[in-house]
Amino acid sequence: MTDIEEEVDFEVDPEDLGDAPVVQVDSERLSLLVNDLHVSYRVFGARKVGHGPSRDWGLMGRLVRRGAKQPPIREVRAVRGITFAAKHGEAIGIIGVNGSGKSTLLRAIAGLIPPASGTVHVAGNPALLGVNAVLMKNLSGARNIMIGALALGLSRTEVKQRFDDIVDFAEIGEFVNLPMKSYSSGMGARLRFAISASAVPDILMIDEALSTGDAGFRAKSKAKMDEIRESAGTVFLVSHSLATIQSMCTRVLWIHEGKLVMDGDPEEVCGGYKKFVAERKRYARSTK
Amino acid sequence: MTVDESGPLAPPTPPAPLERSFDDRSLGKAVADNELEQIGVRPRLGTYFKEMWRYRPLVQVMAVSRAESENQNTYLGQLWSLISPIVNASVYVLIFGFLLKIGREGIDNTIAFIVVGVFMFRFFERSVMAGAHSLQKNMNLVRSVQFPRAVLPTAGVLAELTVLGPALVVMCVISYLSGFLPVAERVTVDWNWLLLPLAVLLTWVFSTGCAFISARLVAMTPDIDNLLPHVMRILMYASGVIFSVDRFVSQFSWGWLLEYQPVAVYLYLVRSSILNETAYPPDGFMWLLGAIWAVLFIVLGFLFFWAGEERYGRD
Repeated sequence: MTDIEEEVDFEVDPEDLGDAPVVQVDSERLSLLVNDLHVSYRVFGARKVGHGPSRDWGLMGRLVRRGAKQPPIREVRAVRGITFAAKHGEAIGIIGVNGSGKSTLLRAIAGLIPPASGTVHVAGNPALLGVNAVLMKNLSGARNIMIGALALGLSRTEVKQRFDDIVDFAEIGEFVNLPMKSYSSGMGARLRFAISASAVPDILMIDEALSTGDAGFRAKSKAKMDEIRESAGTVFLVSHSLATIQSMCTRVLWIHEGKLVMDGDPEEVCGGYKKFVAERKRYARSTK
Repeated sequence: MTVDESGPLAPPTPPAPLERSFDDRSLGKAVADNELEQIGVRPRLGTYFKEMWRYRPLVQVMAVSRAESENQNTYLGQLWSLISPIVNASVYVLIFGFLLKIGREGIDNTIAFIVVGVFMFRFFERSVMAGAHSLQKNMNLVRSVQFPRAVLPTAGVLAELTVLGPALVVMCVISYLSGFLPVAERVTVDWNWLLLPLAVLLTWVFSTGCAFISARLVAMTPDIDNLLPHVMRILMYASGVIFSVDRFVSQFSWGWLLEYQPVAVYLYLVRSSILNETAYPPDGFMWLLGAIWAVLFIVLGFLFFWAGEERYGRD
């Protein structure tokens, strides 16, 4: 962490340097290497239709002009050059305002979105646990456990062995045989966490999934995360709750507009972030 | 108090971004030292195939779940997977077999001919559509876990195959019973019926190949999804599903194209197995052609799908 601060101080003027400064990889028990990662994705339906303030062109004008200004597909550059290395046993929190690219970064690390440029190297298999990822809402919890665990690479017998543990951990009881669409959001989140953690992945990524659990479940998931870290795994946690991040993480990354702006000790980074958010609020109030 | 309320004039800026990247030499060394693997890149074909083999329990579970959840929201449930094709076939029998003469020309037992055609083509059509929608339908899974994506179209087609099983029994029973009607020739049960599983197997392999192709096309260009039903409709009329096509195209020099295209070949194989149509005798050349089409499409389809592997689920 200290060398990173040196990096910041050392940098004279980022605009004058053509290329990003090159740093040595601290090569000791690494589990993840992200090098100059850029991620962009396509958005369909980005063409502006109807809403928002715009000049009134009249019917003919609208018909002719519609779509002429914006292409139907837009490229969104969500992550714009992020570099860091993670060690085994680290719990890394990722913070940043909405739309800063946190979730996209996680998905790229999990190998679910190909990078536009740059590389991601990992040890073992990463598993991503997203808050929206209701696996298959028409299927029962039992089926979802089967599918989720098999997709994570467990064998059929392993799934059978761990089935009861997963159900117990998720605390869904009788609901396991009902379709997942009948679950409350907390139950769904607990089941997803239980499935993802069942495979003891080398890298576990949690995308705001803990925010839906109650205090008891949060304690349980913290214990599970610690277990994964002890078995030499790395845990990533995206959350808007700074308290959660500070209580669970050993290191924090602050992402802003797709770039890494701070990387280091939870206290220090969260403090800086808190100050930034407070200032932003104050500014928003003053411009109102 | 009022002084405090007036905020700063400019929006606050976070610290300057950490503009840095690892140098190639130390990166390469670190990757080697820690036995890291690059992700987000397409696996090699051999590795991919091995992975796919390892994931076959997932294919099975997904296929069964899908088949089960298909008619979940209806009172009759799974019965619909039998009722729908029967109703579908009845409509065609009524229109093409009785109202229009076209369904009777050159055919001994119109009802059996159309029922077999509709049931088998329905399987093919639904397989291609299942492939086309397989990535989009399972986007949640694709976006949370890394596994060979070829599992999805394969499972989609396998789900259709499990539904086809009982439908085949119904198809055979209807075909046999229709022979007792005065308007139709008899359908006899003979040794050729044993070839039906083989014909279905070839159709299944071919359909899986097509599902791979439709899956990638629709994933890359969603617009194709809107064209697929029309392509299927054209294929249906060009393959002799409800009337004998070769009677109409034999006058053209390109008529053989329609006769030997894969869908027509598989319909021929199934019909020659269980029907007694004089125009559809068992034919070794057709069996060879059926095997060639199946291998060709499964290999090309798999390669085509694999070539887009790293891009699925991107948007």
